Amino acid sequence: MNRYLYDGTADGLLSSIAWILEEEPDPEKVTLAKRMDTLFEEGFTISTDATLAESLFFRLKQHAPDAAHTLYSFMLAEKEGMETSLLHYVSLAFKHGDKVKGYLTHPAVRDIVNVAQKAGRELHRMKGLLRFEKLQDGAYLAKMEPDYNIIHPLAYHFSSRLRAQHWFLYDVKRRMAARWNNGTLQFGTIEQFTTPALSEDEKKVQALWQAFFKTIAIPDRKNPRLQKSNMPMKYWKYLVEKQGE
Amino acid sequence: MDILEKLQILSGAARYDASCASSGSRREGPACGTGNTSSSGICHSWADDGRCISLLKILLSNDCIYDCAYCVNRSTNPVERASFTAREVIDLTLDFYRRNYIEGLFLSSAVMQSPDQTMERMVMVAEALRTEEQFGGYIHMKIIPGCSRDLVRKAGLYADRISVNIELPSQASLQRLAPQKHKHAILEPMALIGREIATSLLERKASRRAPRFAPAGQSTQMIIGASPENDFQILRLSQGLYKKMNLKRVYYSAYVPVIADNRLPVLAAPPLLREHRLYQADWLLRFYGFSAEEILSDDAPHLDESFDPKTAWALRHPEFFPVEINRADYATLLRVPGIGVLSAKRIVAARRFSRITPEGLKKIGVVIKRAKYFITCSGRSFENPDQPPALIRQRLLLGESSEAPMSILPKQLVLPGLIA
Ligand code: SF4
Repeated sequence: MNRYLYDGTADGLLSSIAWILEEEPDPEKVTLAKRMDTLFEEGFTISTDATLAESLFFRLKQHAPDAAHTLYSFMLAEKEGMETSLLHYVSLAFKHGDKVKGYLTHPAVRDIVNVAQKAGRELHRMKGLLRFEKLQDGAYLAKMEPDYNIIHPLAYHFSSRLRAQHWFLYDVKRRMAARWNNGTLQFGTIEQFTTPALSEDEKKVQALWQAFFKTIAIPDRKNPRLQKSNMPMKYWKYLVEKQGE
Repeated sequence: MDILEKLQILSGAARYDASCASSGSRREGPACGTGNTSSSGICHSWADDGRCISLLKILLSNDCIYDCAYCVNRSTNPVERASFTAREVIDLTLDFYRRNYIEGLFLSSAVMQSPDQTMERMVMVAEALRTEEQFGGYIHMKIIPGCSRDLVRKAGLYADRISVNIELPSQASLQRLAPQKHKHAILEPMALIGREIATSLLERKASRRAPRFAPAGQSTQMIIGASPENDFQILRLSQGLYKKMNLKRVYYSAYVPVIADNRLPVLAAPPLLREHRLYQADWLLRFYGFSAEEILSDDAPHLDESFDPKTAWALRHPEFFPVEINRADYATLLRVPGIGVLSAKRIVAARRFSRITPEGLKKIGVVIKRAKYFITCSGRSFENPDQPPALIRQRLLLGESSEAPMSILPKQLVLPGLIA
């Protein structure tokens, strides 16, 4: 059984998969792992090639759009140690097309689909739970600490929704930011983050939202368990309506 | 009165409205404006009662000239009254939307001076949001029964979804509890909306520039437990609304006793379990290929309290089971208690690759706690196949496999002389 290694980057992962699919007669029989550079590490290192990585993604997208979407969501999770599963999944996706998502009895498919679903779920949840605050200069800022690295797709979502305003997304843990202004979207990192001053009416609008949040619940039907299962407490930190609870 | 107080009064008055859905519409949104809608709908928060908050749900006014027995806002009830100006609603909507608190606006109202005058003011809000503010988010508008056809048409042009509340499941109850509302004033706009939606869909097939009419369809709502109709009557009514009027959703709202009235039943608590069972039965109508007549009958017109309606059906139809997981078609799989749309689809998809074994069933994430009494898997059964239904009934009830118990089982007490 052949063992392959790659450099640990996303491009490296995808380009090694592309290389193996090209060169190995039976890709489902080989393994792929991140190179650790330990003394007795065995395996053949595949060099990273960004164009190869990209072309793999586009070919998969044409061949099995749904599987390519799963691959994309899986990559958001930045999971290590599942490279072999991903390799087998992509190989199966080229073989079976989009039907592969039903092949849940296969351990590699199940593992990849599971992780992809979790990342996809958080992305969908965040589209609702993200909260913008209006700053003194009229721009809007939303801070978040998601489990997965979802800032890219999230920013694209808001770029078609909040088109008329200037806004920032900031992933506090990863120090990554997205900025939308005058029709262009940019990504970058922020080394030193200082919280900017809020606009004058911001607290007033927040108080209105808090009041709405309180009154819209039916008092006879309090159900904190259901509330928490739909909206886990780890997201409360930046929720205006959950401040002071 | 300041805006905060108004918001408290007018969102508090709207909270009993069950529908919150923001799905079913895809609106790109104007290039220079704010907002779009997504076809799957987005929840922005979950309230303390566990319900999804997706829309700014408010009444334009709670100052009502009508006197519906079941309603807090009835004219004879001494509650504080408030009305928003159009500007206030527009600003609230935009301020909330820009901060990503909401998907859009859900606007309803009490009848202020007349149905026409009220509806006109509601339409004005929607019109200003769409045209002056270039708002592309979701708008759900209630139609005030008795308003003119023109206003209904205008509402449909600006809103994603419009709805007319049926309120009560029969004409007799309507007459007794909401004497100012007439059946035809409710059904007529529903039919009109249905026709307009159908025409708009046809026109948009011919030309994508044709105006859209309520692209997310129409829904309605009825109050459960304030009047004596049984579940069978209610389900048949819903079935008719789905089939004949092409409604997207029927919402059921457990009657919450807000004021005493000798025309109303005395309830210890809102009939939540009954509402829950009706929603389950409604799913069976919409997604599982059941008819109201399969779920209930004149001899057994009430939904079972202990079992969900699908399990209840399965227990009455032992001849249908066991179902073989590897052979049964999708529609048959859907009839197995405990197997939902997702599980049935997974089973069908996984079968393409290999026969499913009992272990495989677990691997693809199908929970068989309830299903195990009703299926075989590659010819093997999980349970003794010859158990009489009565025994399965008992085991389901007592065993690990019953649903999470509802903490309160409100019993409905009906006052003597109420049943017509
Ligand atoms: S018309 Fe509406 S708001 Fe007025 S009393 Fe009847 S149900 Fe209540």
